[in-house]
Amino acid sequence: MEGTWWAGLTAIGSLLALAYYAFVVAPARLHRWRCEGLRAFARLIELRTQGRYGNFELMTEMANAVALRLRLPLHERRRMELAIYLRDIGMVAIPYSTLNKQGALTHAERVLLNRHAEISASITEQIPGLWQVAPLVRMHHVVYREHPDAPLSAHILSALDDWLRIAQHADADAAAAVLKQGIGTRYHPLVVQAILDELQQRAVEGWSLLARSAALWL
Amino acid sequence: MTKRKRFWIWFFCLASVSAMLLFWAGVPLLQQHSLGVFGGIVALALLAELLLIRSPLRPEYTDRGLWFSVSTPIVIATILIYGWQFGVWLDATISLIAGLVTAQIKNTHPRWALVNTVQSVPSAGAVGLTVVALPGEPVNTVGLSTLLALVFALLAYMAVNTLLVSVTMSIVEGVRVPWVLGQTALSLPRDIALMTPISYLITAALATYGAVGLVGVLAPYLALRQAFVIGARQQELYHQTIRSLGFLVQRAHPYTGGHLQRVSQWARRVAERLGLPPERCELVYEAALLHDLGKTVLDERILNKPARLSPEEWREIKKHPQLGVEILGDTPFLSTILPWIAMHHERPDGTGYPFGLKGEQIPLEARIIAVVDAFDAMIGGEAPNQKRAHRRSMTLEEALAELERCAGTQFDEQVVRIFKQVVQEWQQQRAVGASV
Repeated sequence: MEGTWWAGLTAIGSLLALAYYAFVVAPARLHRWRCEGLRAFARLIELRTQGRYGNFELMTEMANAVALRLRLPLHERRRMELAIYLRDIGMVAIPYSTLNKQGALTHAERVLLNRHAEISASITEQIPGLWQVAPLVRMHHVVYREHPDAPLSAHILSALDDWLRIAQHADADAAAAVLKQGIGTRYHPLVVQAILDELQQRAVEGWSLLARSAALWL
Repeated sequence: MTKRKRFWIWFFCLASVSAMLLFWAGVPLLQQHSLGVFGGIVALALLAELLLIRSPLRPEYTDRGLWFSVSTPIVIATILIYGWQFGVWLDATISLIAGLVTAQIKNTHPRWALVNTVQSVPSAGAVGLTVVALPGEPVNTVGLSTLLALVFALLAYMAVNTLLVSVTMSIVEGVRVPWVLGQTALSLPRDIALMTPISYLITAALATYGAVGLVGVLAPYLALRQAFVIGARQQELYHQTIRSLGFLVQRAHPYTGGHLQRVSQWARRVAERLGLPPERCELVYEAALLHDLGKTVLDERILNKPARLSPEEWREIKKHPQLGVEILGDTPFLSTILPWIAMHHERPDGTGYPFGLKGEQIPLEARIIAVVDAFDAMIGGEAPNQKRAHRRSMTLEEALAELERCAGTQFDEQVVRIFKQVVQEWQQQRAVGASV
């Protein structure tokens, strides 16, 4: 038959390209699109809460690195990334004055602030296609002793959220010390170990990079 | 003439044409081909037709949108191999059966199955005409000439189908045909690029193995469907992001809720009247919906203050256009609307904020939002809690007079002129509606 080989090769090539696009490229692009959209929510909360700017970028980077160390599958890492962008969206329902209060919070204010995870989860549930992220958002301050069976990704968010808050207001060593103190009680032991390993590797890489730059300069 | 009457006249015209085509095609079909081949192809094409894909048309149509399947390549390939009579009957049969099944599953009216059927027959007929008109020998082998014939056939099918669907939708939804055409035609190049290779493979399978060859095409067919699903999902995500952000503005500051909806609708109408392309008008709608996003970051005590604002508080309020841009700065697919959000408080005479731009330095879209936003702020809102806290609301006439008074200084003259026409037309329509 005329051009059978040519037709067969063209058809197989097109199909392989189509399948690659449909099952590899397009889902990854879809996730990126979704993240780009949700970053607006995270940035909104950062701008509304003084002293939080740049929080979600570092949190995303660290959470992904820790999840890789703990061998979390791709779909769970993606779910966790979406939860990072949405975890504090409930703060829009908390008055600006409470959110940015300089002194200590009253009991009522503290109770209100602690409800933000629940409010964030209820908002997330209302966004079509994101219902599967809502449980993770609800548990982003999960305590290991109370819910040891919670997903590992929720424990990662809980530990990293605290680490980041303390590191931004105090220093990195103090934040690491708080994590170590909470091993087995507030934080998941495996998660804390993975965070500390990641921090140590970053410190070493940072020093070696500095040393290489210095050597080049000299 | 009422919308219902227009729809039925359109339906009967289309149904008559389709019935004539089917009758014309039916006689030679019975003489030439066995019913076994026809049944086999119908069964596989039906499967493809039932794997429907939903594509949302615009934000308000969350549950409706356009529904389409990937059975078109099978119809095109069948016309090329077995002739147009075969294809016309195939398309009509699968559209009708799949339509009735879908109506049963989704609890929709079965008349839509009939509407889809009468739309599919002329589309398949157009492919037959295109294939006959192509130079050279009849296409019944696989080669470069077949590939070219497929591209032309797909173009003919999609063009006729898009036109017929757009006319039906414009009658049913009460929107203008060019607008619907603009929306549906956007995805045509992508659809044709995706459907060409699969149509080619189906043609090769049919030419070599007959109806049995279609079984081997099922796997790549699912891949193609996945590509469409992802595309539709991407479009849905875009609308979801905008809707959710709009919802946040509304939730954080309820007084702006109705305001945002009204401003968006007015702004889109003005953009259409100014002759902006349909996709630009949609972007104006979306920018208007999000123009106050920056206010979600501000202290509610200032935003909701019933008394006159102090200079310090005004300075805070004036930050909101840039805060809106900062919120959306990490979202590249919304980058087009950022300048319009940033500049919706600029004035043609240069006394606006945050940059103090003049005249043409301000994008037209930002000038549209500025006029519509100010107008809606002047008229307040319908419910007491929608009125601006620190101002007395005006009547429509007072607000229009105020816009005219400030045209050329605070507001763009051309936009004010067009907006006044739009408001007057709306008032007339409302008066007619009330009298009926």
